[in-house]
Parts: sequence; C-alpha cells; structure tokens
Amino acid sequence: MVRMIKAGLAFTALAGALLLQPTLRAQDNMKQDSMKQDDMKHDKMQDDKMMHDVRAKTLETGKFHGKVHATSGRATVYQESDGKLVLRLTNFKTSNGPDVHVILVATKDAMDDANFLKDNTDKVELGKLKGNEGDQNYEIPAGTDLTKFRTVSIYCERFNANFGAAPLEKF
Amino acid sequence: MSRNKWILILIGIPVLVGAWWAFRPEKLFINQKVNESAPAALSSEPEALYTGKLEGKIHQTSGRATIYKSTDGREYLRLSDFTTSNGPDVHVLLVRAEDKVLGGEIVKGDLDGVELGALKGNQGDQNYDLPASVDLTKYQAVTIYCERFHAIFGVARLERF
Repeated sequence: MVRMIKAGLAFTALAGALLLQPTLRAQDNMKQDSMKQDDMKHDKMQDDKMMHDVRAKTLETGKFHGKVHATSGRATVYQESDGKLVLRLTNFKTSNGPDVHVILVATKDAMDDANFLKDNTDKVELGKLKGNEGDQNYEIPAGTDLTKFRTVSIYCERFNANFGAAPLEKF
Repeated sequence: MSRNKWILILIGIPVLVGAWWAFRPEKLFINQKVNESAPAALSSEPEALYTGKLEGKIHQTSGRATIYKSTDGREYLRLSDFTTSNGPDVHVLLVRAEDKVLGGEIVKGDLDGVELGALKGNQGDQNYDLPASVDLTKYQAVTIYCERFHAIFGVARLERF
C-alpha cells in the first residue's frame, strides 16, 4: 500500500514537472526576448520619456456628473513647469445660474444635492465660473493639498447647491 | 387709484426685483460660452484624446491607458502607472468596446482588434504607436491580451478626454 502511494506520488511529481516545463521555458524566452529588446529599446524608451519630458504634467482627472442641473465634461489638474497647479475643464457644460463658483472640496465625491456649507466640508475657492459651456482654466492656490481635496464642484453659493461634481482620479 | 393699490405696487416691485436678482431666471435660456486655450505650457505637448482606467480580467491589471496626439499629428497609446502579470506572448490591442468577449476572460476564436505590438514590459510607463488609419470612434477599448491562450489580462474602456 505504502509503495503504491509512493509510486503515485512519484508519478504525480513527474507529470507535474512535465506539465510545468513548457511554461517555464516560455518564461525564459520572454525574459531573453525582453533582455534582447532592452538594448534596442533603449533609444525608444528615451523617446518615450522625451515625449513627456515635462513642461506640464497631468496629475489628476475626473468626469463630471450632475443630474439636477445637467453637468458634464472633464476636470483635469495640470502642474506647470514652475510648479503652479491649474484646473482645466474640457467638453464642459452645466446650466447657467447666479453666483456659480468652481471649488475644490475635501471629499471623495459629492451627491447632486450636497450642501457643503451646512456639512462644513473644507473647500478651496477657485473663482467664479467663467462660462457654463466650453473649455476653461482655473488656478489652484499654491499649497493646496490634492490628497485631501479630491472633488471638483460647480457650486452655486447663493443657494448652496451643487450643480455637478467631478471626483478626481490619479492620471 | 386707491391707497391699497399703491402700497401693493410699492411693495411688489422691490420684491419682484429681489426675486429676479436672486434667481436670475433668464439664465436658464442664456448660455455663456467660453473657449480658453490650454495652459501655455501644454500647447507644445501631446494632446490627450481618450483615456480610461485598466481593470483586471483573468490577471490583475491596473493603470491608465491614454491616447495622445503628438504635435506632429501621430497618435499613440500610452500606458501609465501600469502593472499586469507577466506572461507568454502578451500583446496590446485596440478592440471594439461593445465586443461581447470583453465581458469574459477567455476569447473563443479570434479577437477582432487592431494590433499595437507585443507588450514591452509588464510594469511601467510605455508608448505604442497607432497605425495611421485606425478609426478611434470604432475601437474604444484597449486590451492586454495573451495570444497564446486567448486570455484577456485586462481591459480599459476609453472615454473622451
């Protein structure tokens, strides 16, 4: 009986080794290939870097959502070469309204009916909304902690109404 | 006119003006369009056209896939923050976002897509040139695909940047 189990184990091990072998060899090939490529790729990799050798860096991006006041488009945070942070809205559309501002809020996301004044969420004011349609840029004050302020909100200060919000994700 | 009417008018007009100022109802019908150009430093940079986050299918995959148009008009795909598992014969493809096979992990038969090349590395930032003729309105997803086992490692659905 013991001998049979031993034989079984040996057989299983052998079968296992045989099954594994092609995969291992394949991985070897992969490595060799990629090592070979590395030399050739060197220039290219530098190209890759060059293309992005960065006068401006894209840090964060997110899409707007908002139903009460239909809001759509994209919010992106760029860092310019001098370190200045810029928020850019693209393909942007919201409803027009009185006293509408662009703010950063210290939340992960915001509901359509969020009222940031009432719930005392930390805010950073970026300025009055320049237009309810179109591409536009807003300077982000130096020292703003983007790890804390994760949501861009189009906020009507007069009625404490959140027109739309864009949760930021790492680009 | 009776005294009451005068009082009504005297109170009514300021109330109406106040209500107009507060609600600015005409703004419902008036759009204010702006068209600012990108920050100056960006004008000489490749322009991002589409972007999407990679999600893992059969193997854990994460990062971001972005399609850029460089200043000379060429389009290329860039993977950033990218990690997937290493494997044999792994390729990067543009595929149709509505293709049903993207719901599963193993493709039966051939995957319809635009081949962008063998995966350069299973980690790190990397660029892939797009063929000049590729129709980006048709192919709205990027997949990391093992051709040997027809396995989808990860998929990123692209959205307009």
